Amino acid sequence: MILPKFDYKKARTIEEALELYNKYNGNALYLAGGTDLVPLIKLRLFQPQVVIDLKGIDGLKDIKKVNNSIVVGPNITLFELKQSSFIKDYLPCFFESLEATSCETLQMRGTIGGNILQNTRCLQYNKSLEWRTARGFCLKMGGQVCNVVPNSKSCFSNYCGDNAPSLMTLDAKAKLVSPGGERTVRLEKLFSKDGRAPFNIKPGEILKEIVIPLKKTMGAYEKLTVRGSIDYPLVGVAVTVKDKAARIAVTGIGPSPHIYELKEINEKSINDMADQAYEDARPISNAVLTPLYRKKMVPVLIKRAFKRISTGGGK
Amino acid sequence: MKTIKVKLNVNNEQVTLQVKPYETLLETLRERLSLTGAKESCSLGSCGACTVLVNGTPMRSCLILTPEVDGAYITTVEGLKNGEKLHPLQQAFMEKGAVQCGFCTSGMILTAKALLDRDKKPEKKDIVKTISSNICRCTGYKKIIEAVEEVSKKAE
Repeated sequence: MILPKFDYKKARTIEEALELYNKYNGNALYLAGGTDLVPLIKLRLFQPQVVIDLKGIDGLKDIKKVNNSIVVGPNITLFELKQSSFIKDYLPCFFESLEATSCETLQMRGTIGGNILQNTRCLQYNKSLEWRTARGFCLKMGGQVCNVVPNSKSCFSNYCGDNAPSLMTLDAKAKLVSPGGERTVRLEKLFSKDGRAPFNIKPGEILKEIVIPLKKTMGAYEKLTVRGSIDYPLVGVAVTVKDKAARIAVTGIGPSPHIYELKEINEKSINDMADQAYEDARPISNAVLTPLYRKKMVPVLIKRAFKRISTGGGK
Repeated sequence: MKTIKVKLNVNNEQVTLQVKPYETLLETLRERLSLTGAKESCSLGSCGACTVLVNGTPMRSCLILTPEVDGAYITTVEGLKNGEKLHPLQQAFMEKGAVQCGFCTSGMILTAKALLDRDKKPEKKDIVKTISSNICRCTGYKKIIEAVEEVSKKAE
């Protein structure tokens, strides 16, 4: 598959990247690992005038401890993060979600920033231009209605990131830079809950840091897939237990992960929460497994994750 | 659209090329340098048939823009043999019958090479995990895993 024509620019600093973005009047896309972006451009879902490569920006590749937090640069690859013994020991939920992401080779190219900010997916959306033209454009492509739920004016595309949900359970924050300055937001605030434009990001804004509180936690990540490798989650459940309380994120259904909190952890509270998550899950026929099966797997994966945590975390 | 000057070290040979800004590394290797070992299959980064080593790391060349890897060392399957002598992995793939249609083979060998370069004696589960980056629709993986195990057994 041939890429459409676009220009390529490599930025050395964040300021340079922002300048380039302005110079092309916003008709630009930022490139990190490219494992999500390049296929989208190949399928003509995006046709930028320029691609701005952020990999030349040194400051985005650091991982460091600052006060009571660990600060992760968005250009660090998933594979590099997995090698950190600190992440394995202190943030097991994050470690497991890194391990569960796609496959080793793509982990070596894909970055944590790009993984968090990946576009939402749908069986009717991630298709070639010819296929989509024949079917008729859906809401997410600028059409009038959803092609999966007839007459619906909402987009039900699924957010299929593995690592954003686990970072959300760890109370992670994102630091973003734009020409207007810097802002820090909780990761869940980055999600707009609208599949057409899944992130609350201003035009040209760049993810600069991911800040994770530095505290030993217990956790697990459970993922429903068809294949054992190179697969997006059809349902993903991240659970982190900290200070006898738990945070749970359910991903893979709808444009934003769902977050739940448990103030105390016992069989009843877990079962109640799992029932609630089952009620909240509204999958539709836009992934490779049936909606009912995916819905039924939500409480199963939640309970499985808690069971693994209670027995020491091993699979 | 202006072309971009790129210097690459491909299989220990220095090359300087003028490439299109939207050209993938796979296109450069196959169409400009006639290195057709890396295959185009899914073209979307799923299958791994286009895997090459970029500075020793296995990567999907269909997802990489050539200007991104300016200055990098690229190894394709053509660069593995030493004179007329095949690389041990190539030899083992032949001897163990790990090749059927052969379309995934170059990617499989390079992915396995990167694993053996960082871990001479990987456990079987590590081989399985690494090889699962590449899709093979013929052999069922068993023979491929056996071939990689064979090479790791012989390693000092």
